[in-house]
Amino acid sequence: MSNMGERLKHRILMVSDFFYPNFGGVESHIYYLSQCLLKLGHKVVVLTHAYEKRSGVRYMTGGLKVYYLPWKPFLMQNTLPTFYGTLPIIRTILIREKISLVHGHQAFSTLCHEALMHARTMGYKVVFTDHSLYGFADAGSIHMNKVLQFTLADVSQAICVSHTSKENTVLRSGLPPEKVFVIPNAVDTAMFKPAPERLSTDEIVIVVISRLVYRKGADLLVEVIPEVCRKYPNVRFVVGGDGPKRVRLEEMREKHSLQDRVEMLGAVPHAKVQSFLISGHIFLNSSLTEAFCIAILEAASCGLLTVSTRVGGVPEVLPDDMVVLAKPDPIDMVQAIQKAISMLPKIDPQDMHLRMKKLYSWHDVAKRTEIVYDRALRCSNQSLLERLSRYLTCGAWAGKLFCLVMIIDFLFWHLLQLFKPAADIEVVPDFILPHCQHGEKSRHFNE
Amino acid sequence: METEINGNLSPTQPKWRKVAYGGMQLGFDDNHTDESFLEDMVMNANVVRREMVKVMIDSVSISQYLCIVTLVVLVWTCTLGSSINENSLLLLDASLLGLGFFVLLLTSEMLSLKQLLNYVFKISFFITGLYVLSPIYHTLTQSISSDSIWALTVSLIILHLFLHDYSGSTVKVPGALEHPTLTSNISLNASIVASLLIASRVPSRLHVFAIVLFSLQVFLFAPLVTYCIKKYSFRLHLSFSLGLMSVTLAFAYQLHRFLFVLLLSLLVFITVVCPCWLIRIQEYKFEINGPWDEAKLCFNITE
Repeated sequence: MSNMGERLKHRILMVSDFFYPNFGGVESHIYYLSQCLLKLGHKVVVLTHAYEKRSGVRYMTGGLKVYYLPWKPFLMQNTLPTFYGTLPIIRTILIREKISLVHGHQAFSTLCHEALMHARTMGYKVVFTDHSLYGFADAGSIHMNKVLQFTLADVSQAICVSHTSKENTVLRSGLPPEKVFVIPNAVDTAMFKPAPERLSTDEIVIVVISRLVYRKGADLLVEVIPEVCRKYPNVRFVVGGDGPKRVRLEEMREKHSLQDRVEMLGAVPHAKVQSFLISGHIFLNSSLTEAFCIAILEAASCGLLTVSTRVGGVPEVLPDDMVVLAKPDPIDMVQAIQKAISMLPKIDPQDMHLRMKKLYSWHDVAKRTEIVYDRALRCSNQSLLERLSRYLTCGAWAGKLFCLVMIIDFLFWHLLQLFKPAADIEVVPDFILPHCQHGEKSRHFNE
Repeated sequence: METEINGNLSPTQPKWRKVAYGGMQLGFDDNHTDESFLEDMVMNANVVRREMVKVMIDSVSISQYLCIVTLVVLVWTCTLGSSINENSLLLLDASLLGLGFFVLLLTSEMLSLKQLLNYVFKISFFITGLYVLSPIYHTLTQSISSDSIWALTVSLIILHLFLHDYSGSTVKVPGALEHPTLTSNISLNASIVASLLIASRVPSRLHVFAIVLFSLQVFLFAPLVTYCIKKYSFRLHLSFSLGLMSVTLAFAYQLHRFLFVLLLSLLVFITVVCPCWLIRIQEYKFEINGPWDEAKLCFNITE
């Protein structure tokens, strides 16, 4: 390449089924990463499926362009897997936006898998970020792992959010470990600020924010909360979040007559999370599986001491003096909360916030991702036959099936080129947003 | 470039740590793979080494139940071929019922008189209901050809055998904690439908009553009785199963040579070939566990 000396300006297409107006780890990762990449001078376009009436092209803060494909989700915010249905529209977007690199997010996302497949067929370099952990035992994960193997067989570089997640991804997909980068999530420390004044410690408030489902350990909470309330008369719980296990928590509250000590607030809108967090001293995370857990970062950034289960990538997230870890069993959790309560007087929220500022920033994430992009673009171009041989190694039956899928995709692509040549597709002019609205950043996302 | 940095580590460089915070670690790339990579992975942690003899003995339960079902089918064919009349069928019903109660009394620890009376009451209720309904069963499938009925019955019986709960019993002893699974319920229902289909082909109403009662007795309570025997004494269970197998084989031999060969080969397949097969494929077992697994709760969730 001629311009190896200066920094490459990429034109990136982020693809995932999960994006604003939905909220969660993946969504905020894509949003913040895109914002920071835009600031670094790259062009970023996001591709996701339509959310109810939100369909078509939208612009977000900082000139972030989002394509909401008119494809309805059918299960858990995923689009129906059609294999080739999305090829024409994705091809058009890739050409219109003069994309140089496609970045897919999240292993559950069917749209991401399809887009990466088409992009590879068309010869684009692709990067994939895995945000989740998966076991190897049950039938569901075995199939999911096969799909991931298919996508990752031909991916240029992969990114994981924690070292545990990297181990998991390498095992699941058979990628060489040096192709997998670990770039964690970060937290918007400007948004998650601690309370201006220190809360009094006469009454200790333990905050829980999570969807109340089995995987987030709602059943652990049912065991832990009454025990802690029994031991510490000055502890109060505030539980934010909704889900199928909410009934169990409410039952627990009735059974132990803790109505005045356990407050159930239901789902907390994302914009109110900060004000909710700063009302407490300790943040309790009871997840049974977690690749990274952004919620812990948000809590720590607000100056809360975190008590968490030692699962997945959680032990890597914070230094040992900012978090108390416990086995996912009620007795150990109660002990951890005891320890956290004894640590509380030494915790200074402002100090914690300043430390978090140094430990995590989205700009750092963007810079590290940029390196991965550079690497991906330096990968050699491969012919269809070379790529097919990689798919063939994926399994006795699956390998042949994958090859067939890719060959058909290749044929479809050539057919499309015949019917609608790339030269006929109009290219979108770039527009540069004046760099004065940085203060407004993330406003839109928070609303 | 980046790989070179990895290569020449100076001694003053800090050690790589397995942490996500603090940005990119000095001197290490994000794709750095440490020696500690995958060190927490555990392979084949929960794999139980199986022994041939143990597996073979365990498979006897399956052969035993297969024999029971074969006996029922033999009784069906004999009834349809009019080689058993209704009176001997009723006699068979009564003796089976008595025998079943006898075994239950013998093997269960705490069967009080009250519970026994409860059983008797329920069974008499059940028998009366069956008697009242038998005219309906008699004419239930008149408009359907016998071939279809046989085909349907065979497929239902095969379904029943596939889904049957061989380790326990779908009908539980009162007070049992665990609930029967969905598949075992489907299996039980398939067998009941099969017996009703067969019953609709026999000549008289009394026949219908006798044969439905017989089939239901066996399909509902035989697993419970054999389960109780197994719990009471494993040796008794083995000898009972062997006796049952030889009796079934003898009957099958009398009825049809081909049926005998089929049954014998099936029994050999279940008790010898399948265990061998299982032991053989054990070595391909590959289980991975690690920190990425979903944590298991150490207590029961009571909904």
